[in-house]
Amino acid sequence: MAQDALQTRYDAIVVGSGATGGWAAKRLSEAGLKVALLEAGRAVTPQEFTEHMPAYRLKYRGYTPEILRTRPIQRQCYACMEYNYEWFVNDLENPYSTPADKPFTWQRLRILGGRSMVWGRQSYRLSDVDFKAASRDGYDVDWPFSYADLAPYYDIVERYVGISGMAEGNEMLPDGQFLPAMKMTCGEIRLRDSVKKSFGRTITIGRTAVITQDHNGRAACHACGPCERGCRTFSYFSSPFTTVKDAVATGNCTLITDAIVSHVDMDEGANKAQGVTFIHRATKETKQIRAKTVILCAQAMESTRILLNSSTREYAQGLANSSGMLGHHLMDHAVGGGASGTFDDLKMPPNVNPPHRPNGIYVVRFRNTPATGKHPHFIRGYGFQGGAGPEFDMGASGIGAGYKQGVKQGSYGVSMSAFGESLARFANFCDIDPNLKDAWGIPALRISMTHGKNEAALMRDAGSTAAEMLDAAGAKNIQVSTGVEMPGMAIHEVGTARMGNDPKKSVLNAYCQSHDISNVVVADGSGFVSSGCQNPTLTMMAIAVRACDHLIERFKRNEV
Amino acid sequence: MRLLSQEATQSGAEPEQNAALSNHPLINRRDLVRAALLAGAASALGPAFSFGQSINATTTPAAQGENGAAFLTDPNWKAAFLNEHQNETLIALSDVIIPATDTPGAKEALVNRFLDLLLSVEPAKSQEEFVEALSAMDSASQEQFGKDFRALVLSDQIALLSPWAYPTHTSGWMDREVKPEPVHAHFEKLKGLIASAYYGSEIGQKELGWGQGSNSELYNDCGHATPPTRNTVHEPAHKPAHKSAHK
Repeated sequence: MAQDALQTRYDAIVVGSGATGGWAAKRLSEAGLKVALLEAGRAVTPQEFTEHMPAYRLKYRGYTPEILRTRPIQRQCYACMEYNYEWFVNDLENPYSTPADKPFTWQRLRILGGRSMVWGRQSYRLSDVDFKAASRDGYDVDWPFSYADLAPYYDIVERYVGISGMAEGNEMLPDGQFLPAMKMTCGEIRLRDSVKKSFGRTITIGRTAVITQDHNGRAACHACGPCERGCRTFSYFSSPFTTVKDAVATGNCTLITDAIVSHVDMDEGANKAQGVTFIHRATKETKQIRAKTVILCAQAMESTRILLNSSTREYAQGLANSSGMLGHHLMDHAVGGGASGTFDDLKMPPNVNPPHRPNGIYVVRFRNTPATGKHPHFIRGYGFQGGAGPEFDMGASGIGAGYKQGVKQGSYGVSMSAFGESLARFANFCDIDPNLKDAWGIPALRISMTHGKNEAALMRDAGSTAAEMLDAAGAKNIQVSTGVEMPGMAIHEVGTARMGNDPKKSVLNAYCQSHDISNVVVADGSGFVSSGCQNPTLTMMAIAVRACDHLIERFKRNEV
Repeated sequence: MRLLSQEATQSGAEPEQNAALSNHPLINRRDLVRAALLAGAASALGPAFSFGQSINATTTPAAQGENGAAFLTDPNWKAAFLNEHQNETLIALSDVIIPATDTPGAKEALVNRFLDLLLSVEPAKSQEEFVEALSAMDSASQEQFGKDFRALVLSDQIALLSPWAYPTHTSGWMDREVKPEPVHAHFEKLKGLIASAYYGSEIGQKELGWGQGSNSELYNDCGHATPPTRNTVHEPAHKPAHKSAHK
């Protein structure tokens, strides 16, 4: 890295190059601001993508002893495999602690693009049933803005990212700017139609950040299947090849990789941030970089960790934490409820060859909606992701030629898995573990979170309703799951620096700006007030763009 | 550091491919088979945005293009975990369970060599369980035929294994539950491992049709126009060549 990159005083430092950081860098640099984009990991190139490499070419065909040794937590993510495990953090270098009775799995990437390299790509809008949930059921507080405030930013993000999907006119899941929808299988159509007929519930094709036609210089998806190993046609949305590329192309954005930010540096007299301190990943040298504003997009708990590690005399409990709310209200969608079965009358042989649609179907939330009314046993709701199609049957009975035939004959499977709202609770939090540091000497987090009775009730109900829907569609061999997985499993962590109108009860204002320090912005999932039940990345990106546009206006008015 | 066996149930969630393997850290993941299924003709490279940095030496061997399967056909191959008797028993067992038919079987796919590699890096408990299961084949064989499994003629091998290869049934005489023999579970475990190693191999992938035809009929919206008719239970067209949804 050129030395003068650190001598410049930037307009903005963006910490993190993932889904939100990429947008912040793009939006600000395209507006003419001088931006430094800091990424803790290395750069990534398409030459290392492995989406077309068959597993039989891998020594261990998926999971090496190296993953078990260095990534015992990361391996709980389906995407952490022999192909690409090095994109995920080394757990030995990046520790965190939890109380013994409160396990939490924290799955992270440190690579340009962060988790946008391997994300699940499902992209759903929240609605006013989510933003104003507290007004409806009395639990906790509303968001400091409404759907109408965010809708234009959803439009901006969707138009650029490219979301394939189908409009449904369902108030729980507002329609967006969609590219042509992917198609359903016969089993999925049967399920959708019978569920609509029997229960009035809506099943739609997954709305996914995978482009079904050429879009913004990227080629349409060729349906090879495993997006999480990278995509040489950039058909799924990942920031390095879209937002970050655009930002760098403006000439206004300096990308600095291998920069692990430890804390925000304050000008205490002025009560303003003056930059950040970072440690070089490889050399472990400590460096500083200066800017008029600091925008944290490091992932909800990582951004909060940076603020907690930035304490000053005035902010002894963590920077921008006069409210005492920093670190609290950690959320992650409840998962574990669902059901699977078979459509025995659909006799269709499974096929190993592409196309492999990188998407499933989605059951729109139908509990505690304006249409269905208040449920007696729980508040909020859940949606399902699922799918149906023929599968090979490795569990076929017999031996010899008959077994080989049975495997190929397969069965027609159908399944759905719930994602339930995780209630915001003060008692679910992260703070700094005084006895734990990462490999760069940066104090590490202590995470303390459990799902509660409401989440348990949601997953029990989800098992029950999934089974009734499969049954109504004629599925056989139905198996139900009603448990709740440990927090972190959904990889939908949000909260810990909540937005709000009251500085005594929230960390950020409605534009992700710190109430305490006017030039600190946290534009990732930290600011979520509630979790909804929809996959959060689309909303995170829309909120980030809204925060950036607000910041640009402040720059124009010389307020920064 | 916590070591946990739970499966991630997130936006890539899929049913377990083979729950019988769930005690084996390296071979318990739903992706084992699925991952093997997903490959394809090389497409044109997109533009490279390297931002001035070359590929770091820490990229995975896979990302560096290593042919990790080369060890399987190494003429100097030696078992890393199995002794000679165990190796020969495993070869014999795999050849009965998945024989060569009009397509190659487990022996040709070198299932024994791949399982030997996995076993060599498994925790001691998994290793012991495997050896116990393999020994149980010999014990049963000795009991019935007075010989080790590998020494039996094929018809006796089939006769020995067949009762364990199908689900147990209640007794046809007394309508009472018949408890499966303990060796049944050992057989199930070995069959699951052999099947996984076979169908994950290049030979096994070809057995599943790899490279022969396409799956283009699967996502057909049943051949109906989009959007399809609502509020009716639809009778699907029966079309071949389907593959499970990959989310």
